[in-house]
Amino acid sequence: MPKRQPISSLVNSLKEKKISVHELFDQFHKVAKENKNNSYNLVLDPDYQKSNIEASQERYSAGTNLPLDGIPLGIKDLFCTKGITTTASSKILSNFIPQYESFVTQQLLNDGAIFIGKNNCDEFAMGSSNETSHFGPVVNPWQNKNNPSEKLVPGGSSGGSAAAVAEGSCVASMGTDTGGSIRQPASLCGLVGLKPTFGSCSRWGIVAFASSLDQAGPITNCVEDAAYILNSISKHDFNDSTSSNYQRDDYIKDIDKKLDHKIKIGIPSDYLKNVTPEITAQIENTKKSLAGHDIEFIDVAFETTDYALSTYYIIAPAEASSNLARYDGIRYGVREEGSNLDDIYLNSRTSGFGDEVTRRILIGTYVLSAGYYDAYYRQAQKVRRLIKDDFQRVFQEVDFILTPTTPNEAFKIGEKLDPIAMYMNDVFTVPTSLAGLPGISLPSGLSSNGLPLGVQIIGNYFEEKKLLQLSNLIEKELSFNE
Amino acid sequence: MSNNWEMVIGLEVHAQLKTTSKLFSSSPNLFGSEPNENVNFIDSGMPGMLPVLNWACIEKAIKTGFALNFTINKHSVFERKNYFYPDLPQGYQISQFEFPILSEGYLDIDQPDGSTKKIRIERAHLEQDAGKSIHDIDPKFSFIDLNRVGTPLLEIVSYPDLSSAEDVVNYMSSLRQTLMYIDVCDGNMQEGSLRADVNLSVRKPGGELGTRCEIKNLNSFKFIRQAIEFEFQRQIEVLEAGESVEQNTMLFDTNTGETRPMRSKEFSHDYRYFPDPDLLPVNLTDEQINQIKPSMEELPHEKMNRYINEYKIDKDISKIIIAEKENTVLFEQMINESDVAPKNIASCLVGDIFAFIKEKNTEVLSLLEFTKDITDLLKLISEDVISNKAGKEILPQVLEGKGKPNELVKKMGLEQVSDTSELEKIIDEALVGEEENIAKFQGGSDRVLGYFVGKCLKSTKGKGNPKLINKILLEKLKIINGKSLIFENCDKINDK
Amino acid sequence: MSDIDIKRISYLAKLKLPSEKEEFYSQSLEDIIQWVDNLKKIDTSNVKPLHNVTEATVSIRNDNIEKNNTPEDVLKNSPERAQNFFKVPKVVE
Repeated sequence: MPKRQPISSLVNSLKEKKISVHELFDQFHKVAKENKNNSYNLVLDPDYQKSNIEASQERYSAGTNLPLDGIPLGIKDLFCTKGITTTASSKILSNFIPQYESFVTQQLLNDGAIFIGKNNCDEFAMGSSNETSHFGPVVNPWQNKNNPSEKLVPGGSSGGSAAAVAEGSCVASMGTDTGGSIRQPASLCGLVGLKPTFGSCSRWGIVAFASSLDQAGPITNCVEDAAYILNSISKHDFNDSTSSNYQRDDYIKDIDKKLDHKIKIGIPSDYLKNVTPEITAQIENTKKSLAGHDIEFIDVAFETTDYALSTYYIIAPAEASSNLARYDGIRYGVREEGSNLDDIYLNSRTSGFGDEVTRRILIGTYVLSAGYYDAYYRQAQKVRRLIKDDFQRVFQEVDFILTPTTPNEAFKIGEKLDPIAMYMNDVFTVPTSLAGLPGISLPSGLSSNGLPLGVQIIGNYFEEKKLLQLSNLIEKELSFNE
Repeated sequence: MSNNWEMVIGLEVHAQLKTTSKLFSSSPNLFGSEPNENVNFIDSGMPGMLPVLNWACIEKAIKTGFALNFTINKHSVFERKNYFYPDLPQGYQISQFEFPILSEGYLDIDQPDGSTKKIRIERAHLEQDAGKSIHDIDPKFSFIDLNRVGTPLLEIVSYPDLSSAEDVVNYMSSLRQTLMYIDVCDGNMQEGSLRADVNLSVRKPGGELGTRCEIKNLNSFKFIRQAIEFEFQRQIEVLEAGESVEQNTMLFDTNTGETRPMRSKEFSHDYRYFPDPDLLPVNLTDEQINQIKPSMEELPHEKMNRYINEYKIDKDISKIIIAEKENTVLFEQMINESDVAPKNIASCLVGDIFAFIKEKNTEVLSLLEFTKDITDLLKLISEDVISNKAGKEILPQVLEGKGKPNELVKKMGLEQVSDTSELEKIIDEALVGEEENIAKFQGGSDRVLGYFVGKCLKSTKGKGNPKLINKILLEKLKIINGKSLIFENCDKINDK
Repeated sequence: MSDIDIKRISYLAKLKLPSEKEEFYSQSLEDIIQWVDNLKKIDTSNVKPLHNVTEATVSIRNDNIEKNNTPEDVLKNSPERAQNFFKVPKVVE
């Protein structure tokens, strides 16, 4: 894949009039319009964005440009965008046009960004391969060099967002991460994917999957771009009761700053128990690249890793089963006819949801139902506390934790039919989500098939600034080593 | 038949909280608006919309806690109650389940024999109201109006301590009175601001509790009474026929006065309560709770005691006044604005003013603008400027805003004659030719005094101050040193 | 066969599984429930459930009205309406 220009240099080019906002938009729109990887559910054309493009250009001319002025972004089709169809890649919402703008996308608009379109994703963000979309699977722009004809998954659920950045149809994109849905596709597409601390970015206006886990974040070509986006979207929002009023940093400032004191990075042995040598090599690569710095690597061990997936696959479906109760064909969305009201409910929901969504609604309904609540749901909530405490224990010893992002490279579309095998993809990302910690996936190397692999760095709560500084360092050292 | 059976009743009362906006959204909490006028994207359950708690609802719950002797829980949790219904846009109702804001309270109700009965209240929790489905516009379709969605409700759940329809009505009206006093609920049952679910079972006195049925959504005292009586008889009939009562949710048909089971469900309900992940627990500090205490309005029984002890008003009259909060507002404004004896104000209120309200069918609070005029009028009476009778004549004019009391007195020519010399003249004239009656009086007949007063009043066209006339008359009729004054006066008159 | 009553679960979730798919979902549910069953091994008797990593909120509103939309905005996406009502087949209570 070719090196891409970071946001900072694009902004400079726009400032210096080397390129116009219109030209920049066209350049990306042309690729998006082809939609050859099915990474968009909807592409917005230059006419639709005309006034935004012109306003942005005017600001550049007046020297009053905003932080993301004129930067073409892809938006996961889970963010409600005012006046623009928002489907969550589900049949049941395929005709839904929100009359409101999500908090996060509003911040991006306020900072001058221009949207290229709505990115395909797993239906209601439920999936790890972007194969559950009502609008068909997204194809990973990367190819297996040993078998180039194979179509590979981009990861999920923000697969369209990742593929769009990888294919060069937008500068960066917005994803959401519930159990790994930003980090995992970023890893499989050779990109940077940041899931901020739970409570950093408002969930207001994002179609809900699992409310206690959902978090918005960027998928970008480089760490600095992630900092640009995070600066825009990480803000306290009174309308989201789980939004934190923590004082945010300027994430771009000092991102290149050298480490001024020794840092400790923990490597959890339990994460590396059953992984392939190729995956272990990613950790080793990363360690090696940092050899010249005052960094100590410490072996750490979690006690709860084996329980994280089970905990996640109880809590997330439980919340989802309730969050998706509102899709009933009564007030919005696709209504299937029926002879009476109950039939309308049953027909609209049954035909409106795909297999994976149906499965998760059933799991969630089951674990919350009378007689099973204590054994499953309540037990999972208790284990969730143990997982959080486990991280806090480890963070007393170390500043960061380094793990693989995924247990494998991008796999073939249609290869994993067994849901549990699919859920296993989230094994390294889910614990962080349950604990609500920030995690970032960075490209760390290529597999023997020439496919990208990534490592995940986990920071402590609201330590995104330090996390981005370290990530920036790793990115530089790894590319230097290449 | 029912003599052998007794009923055991617990009540779940839903009180809509008197707030400006809804429980979790900033839409107006208003009754009677155009369809879907008070609905925003949160209320209509749009994707990605999130609830934000209205502090006023917590405040009102805490006030209720103080008023009904509850334990106010510092930790409470909003949970989702999951079920499908077209007027429930989210597919769940946000309510409190495991950790309600209030637990273990009670309310004393009056018994016919003058004693009180303590009704224990298990809990009270905050929850969202649902919207309304309108079924009677079209034979085939229902129409959904979401205005009521998200209106804050406080559900107050009693123990089964009630044992008659009378008990239930007493409990409910006492609860209503209290909630209205503390400004938590407007108490308007017709508009559904206060509704009750009745849980009723029957048993032989002292026997084991029977299977209960729940009668849903009763919004008038009349319906509550009817529903209880019908359901009581129904359950007795079932049991006496040797069958057993099936646990059921019943609807009350207001047209027939009968209860009937709701359409039976294929499977029983399972609401799958779990803590709402969009909301965090409500954690209150002692400070936050105690801050609300000073703003607590006086409760009905506190007010009554004050009226009796401080204002020296009879218990019966006090009871009449405190029955509705608005009465006390009117009453206390009159007391605060004047130095007329509270007793006089109270008797005027429960007498002539209530009669006026009843006759004209006006709102008690609409008279607030005339309180100064009312007390001015009472002052004119107590200062003998006008008679009581004249006061009664003027009052309706005052209450209709037709003028100030002193203007009306002049206009209607009702000013009382209190000029002593003028009255003396009238009395002297009235006594002329009454030697026989005077003799009777002197002989010990008191009745004659009344006759003389009446005669004098008549000659003043009712405007003479009766008290003064009485006094002067007595003086004149009194025998001093064995000699009647009257004859001296008569002599004087005769001399002229 | 498991004790998972797929008919009851789908009834609660308002889903009408086609009969040929009942077995598929039933099996799938069974597998997943078995897979998550390892949680039962952990002693959590002294652990408080964690519902959300944010444990306190600053979002408590004052009791004010804000109106940012019209009824039309709310009704715009409705599949069927009658004037400003949502319309559905008759609800039988």
